[in-house]
Amino acid sequence: MVEAFKNSWITFKSIFIGMGITIRHFFGKSVTLQYPDERPVLPNNARAKLYVNIDDCIGCNLCARACPVNCIYIDTVPSTSDVDLGKTSTGNPKRFWLTRFDIDMAKCMYCDLCVHPCPTNCIYMVSEYEYSEFNRTNLIYHFSNLEPAMVAEVKEKAANEAAEKQRQREEMMRKKAEEAKMKQIEAKKQAEEKNDGEKGSEPSKKENGDS
Amino acid sequence: MELTTILFYLFSIVTIGAAAVMVFSKNIVHSAFALMFALIGVAALYVLLYADFLAATQLLVYVGGILILILFGVMLTSLGYTFNFRTITVNLVPATVLSTGAAVLLIFAFVTTEWKITEVAERPDTVYDLGMMLMGDYILPFIVAGVLLLIAIIGAILMSTRLSAENKGGT
Amino acid sequence: MTQYLLNINPIAILVHAAIPLTIILVYALVAIWAERKVAGFIQDRLGPMRVGGWHGWAQSIADLLKLIQKEDIIPADSSRFLFKFAPFMMFAASYAAFAVIPFSSSYIGSNINIGVFYLLAVTSVLTLSIIMAGWASNNKWSLLGGMRSAAQLVSYEVPTIATVLTVIVVTGSLNLMTITEMQSGNDILGFLPNWLIFQNPFLLVAFVIFFISILAESHRVPFDLPESESELVAGYQTEYSGMRWAMFMLAEYADMLLLSLLGATLFFGGWNSPFGEFMSGPFWSFFWFMLKGLLLVFVMMWIRWTLPRYRVDQLMYICWSILIPLSFINLVLVALWEVIF
Ligand code: SF4
Ligand code: SF4
Repeated sequence: MVEAFKNSWITFKSIFIGMGITIRHFFGKSVTLQYPDERPVLPNNARAKLYVNIDDCIGCNLCARACPVNCIYIDTVPSTSDVDLGKTSTGNPKRFWLTRFDIDMAKCMYCDLCVHPCPTNCIYMVSEYEYSEFNRTNLIYHFSNLEPAMVAEVKEKAANEAAEKQRQREEMMRKKAEEAKMKQIEAKKQAEEKNDGEKGSEPSKKENGDS
Repeated sequence: MELTTILFYLFSIVTIGAAAVMVFSKNIVHSAFALMFALIGVAALYVLLYADFLAATQLLVYVGGILILILFGVMLTSLGYTFNFRTITVNLVPATVLSTGAAVLLIFAFVTTEWKITEVAERPDTVYDLGMMLMGDYILPFIVAGVLLLIAIIGAILMSTRLSAENKGGT
Repeated sequence: MTQYLLNINPIAILVHAAIPLTIILVYALVAIWAERKVAGFIQDRLGPMRVGGWHGWAQSIADLLKLIQKEDIIPADSSRFLFKFAPFMMFAASYAAFAVIPFSSSYIGSNINIGVFYLLAVTSVLTLSIIMAGWASNNKWSLLGGMRSAAQLVSYEVPTIATVLTVIVVTGSLNLMTITEMQSGNDILGFLPNWLIFQNPFLLVAFVIFFISILAESHRVPFDLPESESELVAGYQTEYSGMRWAMFMLAEYADMLLLSLLGATLFFGGWNSPFGEFMSGPFWSFFWFMLKGLLLVFVMMWIRWTLPRYRVDQLMYICWSILIPLSFINLVLVALWEVIF
């Protein structure tokens, strides 16, 4: 009996405490933002749409590699020696043409992981969050500012230069290899004069294969 | 025709029709709901006889109590709510004999009774008179009925506790 | 009652019948909106804000229009007649009960002697219509909801009737108008109105029991097991849509108002003004009456957004082991009090 009274006392007490709390909230201020009429002020580090300041990008590809869902696509072409791409605002020299810098915001999960690795702080989130589209492909944002003609041109130039360099390198390699061969031959001659013809050819083959 | 008469026939038709549906329906739950309509019709007939207390009691006890318990029972039994009944006569000969006997008796009683016909009149205070009569002239039957119900309740409680005790012992 | 019907011309009857109907309809629209507002405010939200300008006042009207246009879906395996009939029976039952509610000092639908008794009898049909809806839908959620409501209403009818009986013991009348008239005046402690709740302490207990049981009878949280959304989808309403569903909603809110008004009549002096003669009269009495009823409705909403739901066994335990014994003991105590004082 006493137990029952105690229990009902506790029940009523807790009910009234609960009702007190709810009535306080009833008269309290609401936290609702009337969205299209009022907009929230986003904090500075809010995660929303990504933006790339393409002028500062050095094409290091760190952001694309950091992205867990691989939604950043970067193609770079090394600049040729006749053009100077200048420096970023942070002072890093730019060495690549960015022929493609796409971010697929449909895939992006706003993890912010791409922002921090960037050495020039040129990829960051801006507080714009209303960019829904009817077509998913419209959510792929293109940040590269090169014209297609320009892209073709720099690609060709780069290819030419690369070919040139390759040729030079091969030349150098050959020279080096020959020098090495000569040295070896001399060294072997000095060491053992009997079997120099047989053993000298093997290391030179190896070096050719490596280069 | 007077409005009362029209209402009387309306509710009589409802009552009889519902009763017929109740008897001939193949689905026991449909029967139960038909019974509800019949009971409500009877309650309306009581109202037409100025027996308002009786009508309300009819609703409260039969519709609100017994019928719900019937439905509850029907639905709790296995297959109660999807089961179709075969409404065929099982024991043809005894059933015929019994029902004929009952019909003869009823008709006999109906014909031979001297029906007292009184003009229906509105009473100002049905409940008051009813209470006075129950507590005065009819106190004995009232108490006997009460005791009977009490015994029934105690019996039901006893049976259910024994059942649950057995269940507990068994498992 | 019949005499009364026959002596009045049909138009008067229609007008008479239309008054409670108008009240119910207007109330239901307001209450559904208010319920959402109350829910919103309690959860620090705003609730509906768009439709109609000021605080979304036209939201329920828009919802109603939407519901009217909706397709009336009837499940293929349902029991068609009962399925279609149930919502209307439910509304008819709660509407019929309004006949004996004294809305104002000069208006009552039907001034019959057995007022409260009639009201309780008619509302018991509600249960049946819920079972009907639940069974006819041929859906397990609906059936479970129907069964739960049957068990719940049959059980909670007992404490309700017992507490109503305590009031009747004090007033000696079943007529709600008479009961209200008995509560006019401001005599208790010199200033308190003569409402029954102030008249003796056991009636306060009776009111608490009564309020708990009407919460259960109108399926409000914490006793909303027949339609508990989180476990039974929507209970007996699961298969309903469009207009029929709207009828259920209407009946439910009408039932809530009915029981609140009954509580206001029995314990809070009905249409009596709390200030004695000040602000009384037919119109003001209507105002006071609705105010009291709507306050109780508000408390119901308030409780709904505060408390969690009981389990079925707890529900039955509360009723059979606590409320029923308590209400009967209380009945005896009130009777003793009446004999002594
Ligand atoms: S925010 Fe995350 S998911 Fe989006 S682009 Fe950056 S790294 Fe990828
Ligand atoms: S990490 Fe920064 S600099 Fe490097 S590619 Fe990405 S955006 Fe450009």
